[in-house]
This record gives sequence, C-alpha cells and structure tokens, in this order.
Amino acid sequence: MSYCVNCGVELHKTCEVCPLCNTRVVNPNNPVDLTSPKPFPSVKGAAGPVRRSDVTILMSVILATTAVVCGLLNLFFFTTSMWSLYVIGACIVLWVFFLPLFFSRAVHLYISLLLDGLSIAMYFGIIAYLHPGNGWYFSIAVPIILITTALIVIFAFCIRHLHTSILSTAAVIIAETGALTVCIELLIRNFEAQGLSLSWSAVVMTCCIITDVALITIIRRSRLREEVRRRMHI
Amino acid sequence: MNSRQFRYTFRYVFIAQLEKCFYNKIMEKTSKNRKTWYKLDLSANVYPTLQRKNFSSVYRISVLLKEDVEPDLLQKAVDLTLPRFPAFKVALRKGVFWRYLEPNNRPGPFVQPDIANPCMPMAFKANNRYLIRIYYYHRKISLEMFHSLSDGNGALYLLRTITAVYLRLKGYDIPNGNGVLDIETEPDPEELEDAYLRYASSRVKPPRSQERAYLIRGTKEPFYTLNIITGILPVDRILQISRNYRVSVTEYLNAALIFALLEKQKTSRVFAEKPVKLAMPVNLRRFFPSGTLRNFITMVYPSVDPRMGEYTFEEILTQVHHYMRYYINDKFLNADITTNASTQQNPLIRIIPLFLKDLIVKQFYIRVQDRQSTAGLTNLGVVDTPEEMREHIERFDVLMGQPFSARTNCAIMSYGNILSISFASSIVEADVERLFFRKLVQDGIPVKIESNRKVEG
Repeated sequence: MSYCVNCGVELHKTCEVCPLCNTRVVNPNNPVDLTSPKPFPSVKGAAGPVRRSDVTILMSVILATTAVVCGLLNLFFFTTSMWSLYVIGACIVLWVFFLPLFFSRAVHLYISLLLDGLSIAMYFGIIAYLHPGNGWYFSIAVPIILITTALIVIFAFCIRHLHTSILSTAAVIIAETGALTVCIELLIRNFEAQGLSLSWSAVVMTCCIITDVALITIIRRSRLREEVRRRMHI
Repeated sequence: MNSRQFRYTFRYVFIAQLEKCFYNKIMEKTSKNRKTWYKLDLSANVYPTLQRKNFSSVYRISVLLKEDVEPDLLQKAVDLTLPRFPAFKVALRKGVFWRYLEPNNRPGPFVQPDIANPCMPMAFKANNRYLIRIYYYHRKISLEMFHSLSDGNGALYLLRTITAVYLRLKGYDIPNGNGVLDIETEPDPEELEDAYLRYASSRVKPPRSQERAYLIRGTKEPFYTLNIITGILPVDRILQISRNYRVSVTEYLNAALIFALLEKQKTSRVFAEKPVKLAMPVNLRRFFPSGTLRNFITMVYPSVDPRMGEYTFEEILTQVHHYMRYYINDKFLNADITTNASTQQNPLIRIIPLFLKDLIVKQFYIRVQDRQSTAGLTNLGVVDTPEEMREHIERFDVLMGQPFSARTNCAIMSYGNILSISFASSIVEADVERLFFRKLVQDGIPVKIESNRKVEG
C-alpha cells in the first residue's frame, strides 16, 4: 500500500497520483499496480437515444395535410389568388426548422442551419414570385439571408469548438451585429444605386468596435475578468 | 302499447342497455391497462422539472461483493426482483397539471457494464422508459435511480433484494428480512404510499426561503464527466473520535465538511463572505413510522457564518451539534413537510398547467433553493443485511449524483466496520475533498482513497 506524502491518505494500489492533491506516487518497495482493475471503469457512457418517430410522423402528417388541403382549396374553391403558396411555404419552412428535433442524431448542426437559411430564402422567393418587384429578391433579400446564415454558422462554430465564456460570446455577437449592419447598408445603397458609402451603419459599427475592444481587454486581463464575473454573476 | 310508447321503450331501454354493454366491454379493456397509476409524491414533483439535457436528479448506490459479478445471473435476479417493487417498475408520464407514474411492462431494465461517468442524465423516454439503471463492474453492482421514484432508503431495499436474489441464484442460502424483501409476497400498500400527506399536520408553516450561502466557484468539467473521490474509513475509529468530541458521527462529518468549506472560502478570497451551509436530507421514517419505499425525506441546513468571526473546529462542532438537536425532531420536521404539502395542495397552484409549473419551480430552484446551500451531504447510516449475506459483501457505497450547479456533493453510508464517504463533483478542483480528508487524517482516522479522476500531466 502507498500513502500520499502530502495528504497522509492511503491510496488504492492502482493510483498513480493522489486524487486529492495530484502528488505522484513514488514507492520503490511497492510500485503502482498497473495490471489490477481500477476501482472505477474507464469507458464513458452516453445516454440512450430517445425515440422521436411518433412526433416526427405526427408533425410531418399535420404539416403535409395542411399544405395539401390548402393547395386543393386554392385550386378548386378560393381561386382568386395563389394564397396557398404562403401556407405551403410556411409548412416547408416549419418542417425544415423542426429537422433537428425529428432527427437529433442524424442531422448535422451546420447542415441544419444551412437548410434553415435556404428554406427562408425559398419563402422569400415565393413572396417575390407573387409580388414581382424591381429585383429586390436577388439584390437584397438573398444576399442578406446568405450573410445572416453565414454569421449564424460562424457563431455556432465559435460556441461549439472554441473555449467560450459569456464575455467572448457577447463579443462575437456584437462583432457580427456590426458586420451585418454594414452589409445591409451597402446592399441597400447598391440596390438604390447610391454608391458604396456608409452612414448610419458606420455609427453602429463604431459602437460595436468600442464595445468589442472593451470586452477583449476584460477577457485578456484576468483581474478585470474575475471582477466582472463576480459582479455580474447570475 | 301504442307505437309511440314502443318507440320510447325501444329507444330508452333496449338501446341504452346495448350502449351500456358496449361501454362496459370497452372500459374493461382499458381499465386493465389504465387503472394503476401513481401520483408523484411531494418531493418527487420537483426533480423532473430540473431535468436538462446535461442534468438529471439521479443517484447511485453500489454494493461491492467479494466475488466477480456474473452478468447473466444478475439479469435473472433483476427480472425476478423488480415485479416485487411496482413503484420502481414504472414510466414517468406528463399530465396536464402534474406528472404521474404508470406501470411499465416494456422489456428491461437490462444490466450493463459500468461506465466512467455514473449518474449521467436519464432521458425519460430512453431506456424503454425505465427510470432505473443497473451496472456491473468486476465485483461491484450499482443501481442508479431517478429521484422521483424513491429516496436512498427505498433504493437500498431494491439493491439489497436484488443482491440477495443474485446470491441465491449462485447457490447461497440467503433468508429474507433485514432489508431484503420477500419476492414471493405481494407488495404491502404502505410501500407505495405518499407518507408526506399522512403526517403533514402542523398548524404553522415556517417560511421556506433562507439566506444565500457561499457558492463554490470552480472550473466546470466537460459534459458527461463526474469526478468521484471515495474515502474508506474504519467505523470503530470514527466512532471513537466522534465520542471524544461528544457528538454523533453525522455531526462530526458535517462539521468536518463545513470546516473544509470555510477553509476553501477563505483561500478563494471571495468579494464578500457568505455563510457556509450544507443541504442535508433527513430520513423522516425515523420520526414518522412508515414503510413507504418512495421519497420520505426533508432537508435541513446546518450552517456556520464566518462573518461573525473565525470559527475553530470545536466551535463548528458545537454549532452543528446544537442545530441538529434543535431542528431534527418530529415537531420541526412536521412543520417543514406541512409547508411543502400546503404548497402542493393549494387549489390555485393545482390548476396551473404543468408547463407553467415547470417554469416557475425551475426558476425558484435556480434563483433561491440552489443558492441556499454550499454543498450537499447525506448520510444513509448503517446498512443492515441478513447475517448470511455479510460473508459475500465487502461494502456499500452511495453517490449523491451530479450536482445541479458547479459544486461538490458528499454521501456517506456504512456497512460492518467500513464507512464509505463519496464525493461527486462536476468541477476540476478537488480542494474541498482534500481539506475534508486531511482533517480526518489529522484527527487520527486512517483514510483510504479511491477515485475515477484522470491523471494529470
């Protein structure tokens, strides 16, 4: 048997370090037993999958029935306009948005976000088809939807793969808000043929930059960060 | 009889009888499956509301045998034992206003090899809707249970009975009694009762909310990690030390944990010191006789406030000792459970839809209840088994499960001359555990440590 020189507790024969203080076990008379089973298993478990097929079938049937019935109504009874396209489009958008709920393990987050963006673009396409204007769909709507989707994907990537705190998450959101406002103004000016310059979005962007610089300073200075964490904890 | 009278007789007598007959047939069919269901007991209602993707109120009780476990025999033992415990062979369902339990006749639960992250979240619809899990690892059998089914006392009955049946299947002669129930008999209705409602009779209801306590701040471990440190101590030695201090073992261990937490707060250089409080479940069966296997516990909060001055260990012991003697008696405990019962029986609260109740209870727990204690400590006490089982069992362990917020929980139980203290925490730092066990070693108690913590560096 070995004891921790720091804590004075006896350690299990398979312990390489003291679990209480991380002091390495060095006992020339009784080396660590690496062959005996450890007191706890080492294979991690994961919670079993939840069967969602009933919900998937129910929601799909409800949405499909709504779309088909409205389509038929529009075709045979209320034929004044193509109003059913709005309902059918909304059903498709809802179904695409529910995909992660239906197939939680099979659908990749980023693919699901891209599909969400595409479905919204499709819905705006329906509106553009029913109300053809002066090219607003391809000049403004599609670029804004694409940029917003890309920013959401970047945000999801930061949350999932980078070591994020509340402060760094806030910094990412603020930076993305600034970038989005600039893009929106540039797209509007381009659409109205006013030349590529900035006005109101520059003010928003400046505020975002100032806030982001302050946040980054707080994140990098551990004392400041701890102070904010203490005062702002919820 | 004229034609009108005939129509009347035909309509109201013949057709009514026919309808009644059909109705009875249908009801007979449905009531076979539907007549049995259980309301959640008073404290069981809270646990499902706290359910998150990364948290379930699950705890674990293990028995360490002297021989390796045979999984096939263990499965047989589980299959034979579980029908005797109808309160545990259930699925959790949602009603409009409350959740409830209904008998679960799906296949399972199946025994499985143990995992490194015990008490992992338990989805209500996974695992064939069972709310218990049974694991084996070399000589160890572990039972994990969702807290809505039962407290540690009820789970201990199930584990002891499964172990006894398993040993019988191995050819040993194990009698019933001393915590082992007879699987051939019908369950006693008292085992299924909500004992809170039987005993909640106080005429005063003390307020529930208390002052906020010191909260440990630590580095959160990634999802699916639960750090366990188990200390194994000789009962005779700890009894002797407790007697020297003129306190009980529970009071001594409570004081040692408060001492460790006070030290931790001191070294953490917190902005403003707060009281150190422990949330300690009390087994109400000791004060209100009941054979229920469902939840029958309430919480007490022994505490020490460092803002009043520096406490020595002896002063902490005195404080804890007097707190326990003052509050843990049938009068105070009755008042406490009456407060809880009156909340649940309030007509206004009863008619609130479940999703709103979930929202309110969860927020109350996060903002008030969870901040009232620094750590959890439970002592299941001395485990009793038939004498014939003792030669096959080394010890019992209990794990309080994943803490709701970043903190550490401590669970204690003893068997024979072995007392097992298990800390479960979801933070990287093991400062509290270190300070606690060092205090025991300083007092002259030999401690043996086992852990699942990963080697660093």
